[in-house]
Amino acid sequence: MPKLRNVAVVGFAQAPIVARDEHRIATEMLYEQVRAALAQCGVEREAIDYQAAGSADYLDGRPFGFVAALDVMGSWPAKADLHLEMDASFAAYYAWLRIQTGDSDTALVCGYGKTSEGEPERVLNLQLDPYYQAAIGLDPTSTAALQASAWMARTGATDRDLAALAARRRAAGARNPDAQLHDPASAEDLAQTPWAVEPLRRGYLPPVGESAVCLVLAAEGKAEKMCDRPAWIRGVDQRIELQTLGGRDLSRSAGAKLATERALAMAGLARAAEVDVVELCATTPAEECILCEAMGLDAAGARPAINPSGGPLAGNPLMMTGLIRLGEAFRQLAGRADGHGVAGARRAIAHGAQGHCLQHNVVWVLGDERRWT
Amino acid sequence: MSRQAAVVGVGQTQHASRRADVSIAGLVREAVDRALLDAGLEHRDIDAVVVGKAPDMLEGVMQPEQFLAGALGAHLKPLIRVHTAGSVGASTALAAVTHVRTGLFERVLAVAFEKQSEGNAMWALSPNLPFTQPLVAGAGGYFAPYVRAYMARTKCPPHIGPMTAVNARQNGGRNEYAHLREPMTLDDVMNSPVLWDPIRYGETCPSSDGACALVIASEEAALRGPRRPAWIRSGASYAEAMWVPGRDQVSPRAGKICAKAVYEGAGITNPWKEIDTAEIYVPFAWFEAMWLENLGFCDPGEGWKIIDRGEQRMGAHLPINPSGGVLCSNPIGASGMLRLGEAALQVMGRAGAHQVDGAKTALGHAYGGGSQYFAMWIVSNER
Amino acid sequence: MSTSGPPKEPVKYVEKQLHLPYCYVAGDYKVRYLAALKDKTILGSKCSRTGKVFVPPIVASPESFAPCDELIPVADRGVVTTFCIVNIPVIGRSIELPYVAASVALDGADISIYALIQECAPADVRMGMRVEAVWKPDGERQGSHEDIIHFRPTGEPDAPLASFMHRL
Repeated sequence: MPKLRNVAVVGFAQAPIVARDEHRIATEMLYEQVRAALAQCGVEREAIDYQAAGSADYLDGRPFGFVAALDVMGSWPAKADLHLEMDASFAAYYAWLRIQTGDSDTALVCGYGKTSEGEPERVLNLQLDPYYQAAIGLDPTSTAALQASAWMARTGATDRDLAALAARRRAAGARNPDAQLHDPASAEDLAQTPWAVEPLRRGYLPPVGESAVCLVLAAEGKAEKMCDRPAWIRGVDQRIELQTLGGRDLSRSAGAKLATERALAMAGLARAAEVDVVELCATTPAEECILCEAMGLDAAGARPAINPSGGPLAGNPLMMTGLIRLGEAFRQLAGRADGHGVAGARRAIAHGAQGHCLQHNVVWVLGDERRWT
Repeated sequence: MSRQAAVVGVGQTQHASRRADVSIAGLVREAVDRALLDAGLEHRDIDAVVVGKAPDMLEGVMQPEQFLAGALGAHLKPLIRVHTAGSVGASTALAAVTHVRTGLFERVLAVAFEKQSEGNAMWALSPNLPFTQPLVAGAGGYFAPYVRAYMARTKCPPHIGPMTAVNARQNGGRNEYAHLREPMTLDDVMNSPVLWDPIRYGETCPSSDGACALVIASEEAALRGPRRPAWIRSGASYAEAMWVPGRDQVSPRAGKICAKAVYEGAGITNPWKEIDTAEIYVPFAWFEAMWLENLGFCDPGEGWKIIDRGEQRMGAHLPINPSGGVLCSNPIGASGMLRLGEAALQVMGRAGAHQVDGAKTALGHAYGGGSQYFAMWIVSNER
Repeated sequence: MSTSGPPKEPVKYVEKQLHLPYCYVAGDYKVRYLAALKDKTILGSKCSRTGKVFVPPIVASPESFAPCDELIPVADRGVVTTFCIVNIPVIGRSIELPYVAASVALDGADISIYALIQECAPADVRMGMRVEAVWKPDGERQGSHEDIIHFRPTGEPDAPLASFMHRL
């Protein structure tokens, strides 16, 4: 392991997730978050020397949609920059790499996109290979249902188990002012909702939602000046798998498992269960169970607390759901998780994902203390 | 933390208007296999993969790196996908360099591609933005007004663009991978149809299928390799906002900032004297003169004179785009990586029939968006 | 299936026509801008720090990073700073060829808009030419960008190059 720099999340601003913001375009939503994140850090735009962003042209419904975001990110004069056609959690990963090179000390990481403007089920079909999987009309709910079936078949999990987990996340979401779903729902209620694609009921799936997010990273020396309780990144790793649904065991996430092992090793932790809080980018209860198994966590346990924000089941703005997990982990460690704070949280895991059936996973381990001396 | 990185493998496909013989995966794999072969490596030697391409609308697949993960040999490896408009191939290579310079990765595969024949590029690049009159006709329609402004500003003679195009084609004729290799005369270009006045057909890049792959390695890994690497002396990618009052799209400030960063990083104080050859992103012939100025090879208003004097030709003082450049092959997403890869081949002394004699230091350059994104590196035959 | 090298037949294609509906939000500033077009008024937004004016209105100045919190009208006339003559068609566009796509700096605005220049031969369009908006007649304007049919020369003397070269 080379010598690494201590880098922390020092600011995070998120527009509350809504079904559709009728008043603002994506860049207008983002501008407010960039300003808010900088204000949290008590710095002007000039203090940040790198910027990275995640978004997708097909969700924007236009080519080069991300170019317009430069106009609200303070990119004048020109800033060292990279845009990733990915969930913004991977932009955060890249910004962290960039700071590790020593070329930058601070970075803005932005995620944006108005999911409500298109039809995400149809759009995300286009992620699949065009010759077979996309051609037969698979959408993300169908692929998630295949995955849920595989999980249930292997473990014996039932519809009631999924309903119970979804209800817990809905209850948590009710305490998170930025979540989209604020009304709690009982497992019984959710188990009454119609099938979306069996074995997934509508009540187990997040609605279409949109937001805009800006997260600030800073290296040791600057981080302490920008935040009274920085969330230090102690380990991170990311892995992609083959897309072909028939080419992997959908009931398991080999990528999340490997990324977790590597991130924990970097963090100097033996087990994921040693952290206090975990935020998982799981868009169905089955995905959450698969991730917990891959990470060695108990989805039903009290500690670590899993998705105290409600997680994606309470709000899933595409291309930023993963970054919000990192932001939520920061909020927990920094004592800024209004209404849904986990008492005494000192260590956290944040997970981001994209692609069908958890194809691509990134895992962060954070703590309230620096990792390297 | 100031770790060095080097290019240890370069691979590119045969570029053509329609590579009907391969799928998207086959096209990408052709470049990847060549880069790995060139580096004397196998997929298992690669620690991470960085993929770049221009808008996904070009092929009709969203985030195609996801279905290409197998063809890229990326299963259970870290991967990121970059999209910075036209500069993407170059910023993808630079993102791979970042990976290596953290010390966490020994060898990183950078891949960029476009299979333009599988969609409609003019359509994909002519966004019908909501609530705005659709007037911009492709990239040519966007950039032509700034070419006109360059002509008005410098009062250059009308043959500069055509001369550039003729020279590019002459160079492309020596590049076995180039899409367009047939020679053109000045008259051919001058008499070609005017597509977006003042830009003529003969001054315009083609629409190509193609891919490029580079293997970027740490200093230690590069020294263990079978070949002499191209050492990356410096690299930078910058982007600037669009609607800044007075933003100069003829000689953008972002380009100057990026050039300054790579020159300083490489210890270059006089690029005209210290750089032996440059591969720069010239999708329309007139941009060669414009970028010569923006890159500081001459004073503002003097770029066209370098071309008029032929000082950018093969065998002259500063050969520009010995490969023929974007004017001879334009698989959009890969075009920027080709510029950086060709610069590397030059300093490795392995550019074949388009080798610039004694090239020791080379610049690779790409740009994109509304001349907002710039990505460059300086490579050298010495550490 | 033969295993001795690739098949000799050409690769077949999978043809796909993509139809993806989108329903874009205009945003409050754009809504007010579009509504004002109905009254033959072009609105811009003014930077709270520099006073510079952006058309169409945007919520923040990309230059100063400060909010633009005031909407003000600008002139419906200005100067062609640069342009091109489009001679090739784009799928789905019905504008007759050739047409002039110009960058027009409206009087009172600090950035240029794209505009279609008509009512003169393309060859007669010049950098510096003064142009004005040609509006749809009263009663036909809908509050959309189509309310301005195109721009046309005003016949006023050209603006000197130096007066707009810094604001293409």
